[in-house]
Amino acid sequence: MSLEFLTVVALGGLVTWILKTVFIESSGYVRLPNWFTQALEFVPPAVLCALVIPGIFKGDVGLVRELGAVPIDPRIPAACAAIVVYLLSQRTILTLCVGMAVLYGGYWLQ
Amino acid sequence: MRAILPLLPGIIPFGLIAGVTPITLGYSWIDSLLGSLLMFAGASQLAAYQLLGEGASLWVILMTVVAVNLRYLLYSASIAPDLAGANRTARWLAGYGLTDQIYAVAKRDYPAHQWTLPERLAYYAGGTLSIWLLWQLCTLAGAIVGQVIPVFWSLEFMIPLTFLALALNTLTSRAHRLAAITGACVSYLGLDLPYNLGLISGAVVGILAGLMCRRWWR
Repeated sequence: MSLEFLTVVALGGLVTWILKTVFIESSGYVRLPNWFTQALEFVPPAVLCALVIPGIFKGDVGLVRELGAVPIDPRIPAACAAIVVYLLSQRTILTLCVGMAVLYGGYWLQ
Repeated sequence: MRAILPLLPGIIPFGLIAGVTPITLGYSWIDSLLGSLLMFAGASQLAAYQLLGEGASLWVILMTVVAVNLRYLLYSASIAPDLAGANRTARWLAGYGLTDQIYAVAKRDYPAHQWTLPERLAYYAGGTLSIWLLWQLCTLAGAIVGQVIPVFWSLEFMIPLTFLALALNTLTSRAHRLAAITGACVSYLGLDLPYNLGLISGAVVGILAGLMCRRWWR
């Protein structure tokens, strides 16, 4: 067990629980302000895309850490392929499979 | 419980990923299970794991968890009248168990039936318990399988891939697309900034871009 991990998930769990419970607990008919509901709509695309970037460009993927670097980081073609597959098929699992396949393929081709 | 059945299969791969990724970052299966038990919110778990792997500070991780889970405020406010009058234990548990799935089916089925509060609570508890059990089992399965999968399989890369699919799924309007592209570009420009400032500014500027597009481009 790792204390660092435990701290993160315990506090993360606490803030998540507060977000989930706060209005149930107030038990009233709360109306959130308009600007807030509007902004909320754009939170998923903005935050998720901002999160994807370091996942692709930061550090090294397990392949590279274990087996050595290659000229083009295989995560880049993998992410591109995943975008195309999702836009064409709208299927998450297929997107994940193709993304991982291109990651491996892109690495071994180099 | 029957109402939630069609939504259950979609949880399985997500739960497996949430179970396996802490292992790929060098944590144990107990950590992985604790993550799912304490947080019980898939996307934010993955975000927290990815940031932990990048060595982000606790504050950055918590801010990201809040951002990813902000939608629960909306669910919570919207479902509150249906659960009003329940005792504190029930309310706190209902909060812990709130998910996209139970919110969607409850909001669909509550108005269609003239249920009493105990009936509504029973419906909520049955659905949530199924989701919760499945989520924990998948986490455990993912964590156990993860221990025998070698590092070079690079399963941690499934986190950004999952986020990519989730993000693409939200692009329902021009404003959403602008928010997504702006978020990604700002995050990229800020990649080398300390304290994950690139991520944070990407999120904030992306949301603002979406709002401005909505206001002025229509």
